[in-house]
Amino acid sequence: MARHEYQAALEELRTDVAALGDDVLAQLDRSLHALEHDETAAANGVIEGDAEINDRYLELEAACIDLIALQQPVASDLRFVVASFKILTDIERIGDLATNLAGYAIGTDGEAIADVTLFEIGAAAHDLVEDALAAYETGDADACHRIAERDDEIDSRCHRASERVVRDLIEQEAGAVDPWEVEAAIDDVSSVLLTIRDLERVADHGVNIAARTLYLTENDPALLY
Amino acid sequence: MTESRTTPATAGEADAQSGESIGDGRTGRVEGTTPEPVGDDGRETTAGESAERPRETWREHTFEGEAILSVDDLNVWYGDDHALRDISIDIPRESVTALIGPSGCGKSTFLRCLNRMNDRIRAARVEGTVSYDGQDIYADEVDLVELRKRIGMVFQQPNPFPKSIRDNVAYAPRKHGDIERGLLPKLLGRDDTDSEDELVERCLRDAALWDEVADRLDDNALGLSGGQQQRLCIARCLAVDPEIILMDEPASALDPIATAKIEELIDELAEDYTVVIVTHNMQQAARISDQTAVFLTGGELVEYGATEQVFENPQSQRVEEYITGKFG
Repeated sequence: MARHEYQAALEELRTDVAALGDDVLAQLDRSLHALEHDETAAANGVIEGDAEINDRYLELEAACIDLIALQQPVASDLRFVVASFKILTDIERIGDLATNLAGYAIGTDGEAIADVTLFEIGAAAHDLVEDALAAYETGDADACHRIAERDDEIDSRCHRASERVVRDLIEQEAGAVDPWEVEAAIDDVSSVLLTIRDLERVADHGVNIAARTLYLTENDPALLY
Repeated sequence: MTESRTTPATAGEADAQSGESIGDGRTGRVEGTTPEPVGDDGRETTAGESAERPRETWREHTFEGEAILSVDDLNVWYGDDHALRDISIDIPRESVTALIGPSGCGKSTFLRCLNRMNDRIRAARVEGTVSYDGQDIYADEVDLVELRKRIGMVFQQPNPFPKSIRDNVAYAPRKHGDIERGLLPKLLGRDDTDSEDELVERCLRDAALWDEVADRLDDNALGLSGGQQQRLCIARCLAVDPEIILMDEPASALDPIATAKIEELIDELAEDYTVVIVTHNMQQAARISDQTAVFLTGGELVEYGATEQVFENPQSQRVEEYITGKFG
């Protein structure tokens, strides 16, 4: 009773989740590029691509439900299916955040967002998610702990960037009297702050992926809290 | 052989063990008679099973409350076949303990040791101790009839007597003299018909069968469905006031609805009784038990722990492979 088809279905789920993760990372990559280089066409491509990500997410979620209902996985198989189910949600949310970032690239004047630190944060968040997905695919528990630590650094960089943006606003625009100018400044600052927030969230979802991966490989819930 | 009335062996069970007769149960410990295990790892394994050396910590299950059964260093041989090896386990009171493992791993043998059903197998040799409330059930002075009243058994195939539903439940109490009825007791003012009716109703209610049979207690029990017959057997077991109920795959011959009723019943019984159940259905073990003991090839108890732990994160690689269906 080796249940070959069942084992093959588990492997297929692992491969498909990782593939969806890769495609979402590509979406994120294009968004960051669009932000940095103010490329509207690339940003539009990201927004259009989100529907396909959502469809595949729903298909893989259904595959997890089928595995649970039809195969009743237990032990490490159960942890794998349940973790994959949760990780899928994180991947899909990263896809949504990539879409948000693409939206900021379209709606904001490129200069407003041209902050080198921001692109560095974006790259760090992207790499964190990439490493979390690699840990999931290979079952690397040690990597999960390192990923969680890296998120602390991203969080403080986001915090510092937000403070600087607000400080700049106060310093540069405090004396502004033209209401249109004030309005434009507020829009720009809002977009930058939302960008920072979304990049931070991208990294948070990467940590969630690492946390679920640690649970599935070691039955260790340490990073879930 | 009065003990066989409270825990009758099924035909299938008798077939499975040739040469059945009343033996003298456990033999004494004889130095140097324990067969050496095979190879370094010690076990001939089922195809596909990993080799590993079981660790003591995998069998350590801590629980609140007291143990009603304590098994220490139990070994069983059927002739030269070493069916159980060094089994030590504490079973908590008023809970459900599931015994799982592939065919031939010794789980049914273990169950039968808990109320000395193996005494009935001439070739069976039992060493070690099984303590019930601190008393070794293999001690010479133990009254087997009394033991099997306190530790009842329900078998895979429902095996009601070819008598009325009422008689099935009341049979053992009558035979044990707990209930008297008829002309003589009536003349002597000791007629227990009323208390028998109460007992029959209580046991049938406890076995979740009363509502289905209340208006036909004098019908032949063989007219009941398989699931009803099995619940009647549980009611019959309850009639002698046991503390522990041993169940050997009690639902494997039943359809899913009847199985669900038995599972629900086991859950309710565990409020007042201690249930030890052998099952081949791992989902059933996961659904109904508080703790699970996993026996693997060679008659070893490899892992014993809270059911959630065993099914979510087994310590043993072989247990992991068994419960995920990679062998067995």
